[in-house]
Amino acid sequence: MNNQNSAPRVMKESKNKIKVEFDRTPLKERLKAKYLNSYFYRKVLIAIFRFVLLLGISYIILFPFFSKISSSFMSPKDFVQSDVKLIPKYPTTDTWKFLITENNYWKALGNTLLLSLSNALIQTFICAMIGYGFAKFKFKGNNLLFLIVVLTMIVPHPILASSLVQRFMYPEIAIFGIEWLSIDLTGLCEALGWNMGLYNTFVPIYFLSLTGLAFKNGLFIFIMRQFYRGVPDELEESSYVDGYGVFKTFIKIILPLSVPMLITVFILSFSWQWTDIFYTNTFLNSSEHTLLTANSFWQTMPASLDEISSQAGGSVDSFIIAVKNTAGLLIIAPLVVMYLFCQRYLIQGIEHSGFGGM
Amino acid sequence: MDNTKAKEKSGFSLKNLFPKKATSLNAKKARSGWLFVLPFVLGLVFLYVGVIFESIGYSFTFYHKIPAVRGGGYELELASPLFANYEDAISAIVDTKTGATFLEKMFTGFFNQIVEIIAIIMLSLFIAILLNQKMVGRAAFRAIFFIPVVVGAGIIAKIDYDNALLESMSSLEGLDTGAVASSGMGNLVDLMDISMLFENLGIGSELIETVSNLIGNIYDIVNRSGVQMLIFLAALQSISPSIYESCQMEGATSWEIFWKITLPMISPMILANAVYTVIDSFTAESNEVMSYILSIADTTNVSGRQAASAWLYFLLVIITLGLVALVMRKVVFYQRRND
Repeated sequence: MNNQNSAPRVMKESKNKIKVEFDRTPLKERLKAKYLNSYFYRKVLIAIFRFVLLLGISYIILFPFFSKISSSFMSPKDFVQSDVKLIPKYPTTDTWKFLITENNYWKALGNTLLLSLSNALIQTFICAMIGYGFAKFKFKGNNLLFLIVVLTMIVPHPILASSLVQRFMYPEIAIFGIEWLSIDLTGLCEALGWNMGLYNTFVPIYFLSLTGLAFKNGLFIFIMRQFYRGVPDELEESSYVDGYGVFKTFIKIILPLSVPMLITVFILSFSWQWTDIFYTNTFLNSSEHTLLTANSFWQTMPASLDEISSQAGGSVDSFIIAVKNTAGLLIIAPLVVMYLFCQRYLIQGIEHSGFGGM
Repeated sequence: MDNTKAKEKSGFSLKNLFPKKATSLNAKKARSGWLFVLPFVLGLVFLYVGVIFESIGYSFTFYHKIPAVRGGGYELELASPLFANYEDAISAIVDTKTGATFLEKMFTGFFNQIVEIIAIIMLSLFIAILLNQKMVGRAAFRAIFFIPVVVGAGIIAKIDYDNALLESMSSLEGLDTGAVASSGMGNLVDLMDISMLFENLGIGSELIETVSNLIGNIYDIVNRSGVQMLIFLAALQSISPSIYESCQMEGATSWEIFWKITLPMISPMILANAVYTVIDSFTAESNEVMSYILSIADTTNVSGRQAASAWLYFLLVIITLGLVALVMRKVVFYQRRND
């Protein structure tokens, strides 16, 4: 108000900055006004409460990992001593060493990486395609078919395991599984050198992914559908006007547009395939295709470790548990590294999904 | 023009036999949607429907093991009272300790699941709201909270489960206290303390049991609510800040803003999350009903009964989903758009 009477005196002026002299309230007064009020107290209290709560829940999430890591460096002696909790007295890296060398870690890792990567790529593309079909085309039976997608998520797959295995062991092209509408492919497979049909190959897993029927693919289709519903129709219309067909529009316009969402789906499907035990153990059962999740990796005690534990005096259950946990850590270690690099995209992708506007 | 008309008159061409229906561009475009969902339809036709019907068929058949002398393998026979397997599944006593039948077990398991589902949804909503606020270390907290989404399921859960079994069987529990925490969480809080606290408040024992069970399961519940948190966080981000601003201008408190704005705006996502959580927890293998169903085939060889109980359970899940959708539909608020 005073400024109108006496024009402020300019102290320093540069291209885009100007420093003006004026009567400032003393620092003490300003601090008082800022910090000594109930609004500020409440804010601080809430912030502290929130921080402590989040810290507590983070502890719940992280503690099992800490204890698993610490117990993986313990020798059998440590488990018998009651004063050892988290820091081992006789630290050793034997558990890690023998699990890696004797249980074929690197080979299993390579196989798992190959399977998860290729499978996640397939699933991401297929689910994006199916989701786009459901979101943007109002064909007859759209809603009914989408209901079936949801239902495929509910059907407990373990019940279908034996039927699925049979389908792939004695492959045939059958419509609705009816006997007289089917063509037997077993001979073809034998000619190609697969004695067990498609069993023990990656084909069944790829097939399920290619048809959007694999683990939690219903969720991915749902997520992609929600995302594409938020994409304005004008975009496609203008692309049609410019002479693109539906597929070219999808590949050239829609897919690049949905990259954040695709990354999210990719991360989810990659990590869920990586840690999956049901499908891999159902369809794969040979040393050729050992995966990290196969029993031969994490359920088998390496011989040297067995010896160590028996030297320590009988089988120490806690040591067996620790070995299994270490195997678990070895399985998820690459996944955690990937997560550390990608978690930014995971959250961004979901944030921009337009999930709210259902 | 004249040329084509002349052709049409002359009459005997394929086009006349199958006159092309007049279709609008929109209808044509709609039809090409089938191409996009084609992979799924193919999978359904060539694999899934057959497998499903086979499994339903199993629930109506008896299994006979053919002795190895006659070639081995199995023989199927239609169940003589058609629903024999179902009757068997319903009335057979499965829990030798309590003498509960499968039906009873299914329903007690069902109610436990429902309680956990409600807890998961409330917890994930609460944490999503916290993680949505500006604060110190938000990125780190978000990274930590979504770890279970990536690594929580599958193998780690299986290893934890195995280890818990081994630990409970181990008779050395008194000795090796050093490794109590080597798997899972162990006992986070002493449950006795909690029940004492609640009993002193004069609350019924059933409620205490439910609450203390939930607290004991907190590790499990937090682990299972990762995806829900992600979805809620996305929903919260999509609420336009201008709505909040205008509310604050009108003098609404944060409490009022939560109930009048936030909750209705994300209610569609509460529905989606409820459906997802129901599916996720009812079909999880760690769930006691599912693990029972899976164990039938392992121990005895009565696959017919396994299929029957599985489909009974499936029916229950579908009914639950339907009910959840019906109830939520009344509550859910859809923001109308001008289209």
